[in-house]
Amino acid sequence: MSTEEDLLTMLRDRLPKDKVREVNITKWLNKFEIITDPENIRYVILALKGLGFNHLVAIETIDWLKKEPTFELIYYLASIERNGAMVLVRTKIPRDNPVIDSIHDILPFAYYQELENYEFFGITFRGHKGLKLWILEDNWDGPPPLRKDFDSVKYALEHYYKGLRYERGDSNE
Amino acid sequence: MKEVIVMNEEIELFFGPQHPGAPGNVGFKLKLKGERVLDVELIPGFLHRGFEKMMENRWWEVNVVLSSRYCVEDPDNMELGYVLAVDDLYGVEVPEKANHVRTVVAEMSRIQSHLFWIMFMGAGLGARYIPSWAMAAREEILKWYDYLTGHRIYHHYMVPGGIRWNVPQDFNERTLHTLNTVSKIVRDIEEAFITNKIVRERTEGVGVVKGSIAVELGVSGPTLRAAGIPYDIRKADPYASYGKVSFEVPVGSRGDSYDRIKIRVKEIYESIKIIEQLLPKINYEDKAYRLQLPTIPPNGEGLGRVEAARGEHLVHVVNLRSRYPYRVRIRPPSMPLLTTVLKYIVSNEEVTIADFPVIVKSLDPCAPDIDR
Amino acid sequence: MVIKTFKVGLKYLLRRPYTRLVPDREGPLTSDRTRGRHVLDMSKCTGCSMCQKVCPADAIQMVKVEGPWPQNVKKIFPRIDYQRCTFCGMCVEACPFNALSMTNISGWYLITRDKKSTLYNPEKLSKVFETKEYRITMVKSLAEVQRLKKEGESNA
Ligand code: SF4
Ligand code: SF4
Repeated sequence: MSTEEDLLTMLRDRLPKDKVREVNITKWLNKFEIITDPENIRYVILALKGLGFNHLVAIETIDWLKKEPTFELIYYLASIERNGAMVLVRTKIPRDNPVIDSIHDILPFAYYQELENYEFFGITFRGHKGLKLWILEDNWDGPPPLRKDFDSVKYALEHYYKGLRYERGDSNE
Repeated sequence: MKEVIVMNEEIELFFGPQHPGAPGNVGFKLKLKGERVLDVELIPGFLHRGFEKMMENRWWEVNVVLSSRYCVEDPDNMELGYVLAVDDLYGVEVPEKANHVRTVVAEMSRIQSHLFWIMFMGAGLGARYIPSWAMAAREEILKWYDYLTGHRIYHHYMVPGGIRWNVPQDFNERTLHTLNTVSKIVRDIEEAFITNKIVRERTEGVGVVKGSIAVELGVSGPTLRAAGIPYDIRKADPYASYGKVSFEVPVGSRGDSYDRIKIRVKEIYESIKIIEQLLPKINYEDKAYRLQLPTIPPNGEGLGRVEAARGEHLVHVVNLRSRYPYRVRIRPPSMPLLTTVLKYIVSNEEVTIADFPVIVKSLDPCAPDIDR
Repeated sequence: MVIKTFKVGLKYLLRRPYTRLVPDREGPLTSDRTRGRHVLDMSKCTGCSMCQKVCPADAIQMVKVEGPWPQNVKKIFPRIDYQRCTFCGMCVEACPFNALSMTNISGWYLITRDKKSTLYNPEKLSKVFETKEYRITMVKSLAEVQRLKKEGESNA
């Protein structure tokens, strides 16, 4: 596993201390984990792109409502030159003001991943020109549905079934 | 003097889900100038079912049933992604037998998915005989699935901690028989379809995605390999039993539609090779094929990364000590194919409206997994 | 190049057709492991509702059935709505008393014009049912199995 440690030291050396809080290997499946502040996200992604991590796999949001009022964003970046090594860039933004810089000009696929996070979590990406409902277009007027405080059953009953529940074959119950 | 009228106006065309050339339940908004496609915008959402939210309301082990359902064509790789993530969360090492069988099942799913795609491709290019052959081969695999797992399309054969049932005693012979039938048909398809001059002329040099730009577009799988980059998660980050078998990763050179066709057919042969290597390794006396896991997994996170038939499939699960997942993030493989890659192709070369369905189909998107 | 296509095509032209009719019986589309119609053993079911809780499709509801059920105090049994059931087999796996099991008879009974006919009450789930090829009977003991087998042999 020396290559992994090499990579870890390389990441630690190349990423400046004031921009990045921690660089670790995760407990799970030996991925690299970088914890940073939301202001530095563009810097970190650019730096990682320079180090060969230019394959954006996904952007994920976790709503930590049960623990603390924050959204956590995870950027999954893989490097094909480095044999598929994966870096997770994690950052937390406050729940009442979920704004973060967009990275879609650095990695084009981010455009669509950010769009997805916008419509399902209501996170605003600064600099993103096309934020709109995309998958949910034309049939959604509720709050972002994947947030933890959104009650999907209640919403569906109110909006789609006019307050009625699904009736099974015999309705005389 | 003849008057020639050239339309110089840009029009918008909705290329919808019911169009026979559409790749599934998605629409496109095309910007046309005459015949040429200037811009393309994906309109997803015709099949949105909210899997990520649904999974938060079901038990860990039950979610396997959901996890295969967002891609009809390649269900087992989707299941494997979820199951790997949950295994990782539990921090368990599944028995060797389970790993082998999981790999066999996932490879079968890849073959079946590529066959399904050959059907689409054949139909898209107007070769009407190809779809029925490919479907006949796929039918053999579906029968095999019925024999092993009990269902034809959605198998739910993998569970966190192993596989659901033991393999039957005649598993080896039956699998080899199925592979034999399939490879015969695939050989015929190769002869009649892949080397066919008409097919070559329609697909060569069309829809080129090449070199390192493909990486930044976020695409993986056969499309990336056709672009000349030998990246395969089965090799780069081996899961299940892929570390124990030898296989090749076919790579293209030109990155056009024809390369993608060739690579997928080669991958079918590679998958057959993998299964043939694994079959003798399965120990029929071995009783350990499933771990009994506690119903509540430990706190933490788990990640599953799978090379599905269309590219990288990533599942991330988060648990806050509960029977229900706190968050499941699914990154299905098809999303970059229809967004960034299509946009890139359209902006880079002169795509006519007649070529558009061929390009879309050669990318092999699985539309339902974009919506989830 | 195109000649080759014709050659292979001709080979397939002479083959038997591969398609089959959708059978109104449990014909060639099933194997030994096929997950199909459930069978409920009402003498074993304790009404613990595990099957209802595990069902991903919410197809199971617990309904009351009057009768002498010493093991089932609440007298509730699962009722399966086959409009919703996905035949995943989770309920069978989750049942702690092996009261619920699956047969490999699949498909034909879902072809219906009346939605109500796919709602299977506990009685219907546990009763004898007959198809063109099989006759499924719930029995309580091995002796009964042997008795029925003998009967079947003498009848034939
Ligand atoms: S087989 Fe699955 S869907 Fe059907 S009743 Fe049982 S648990 Fe529910
Ligand atoms: S069938 Fe099994 S799981 Fe369902 S209520 Fe009866 S005993 Fe419980």
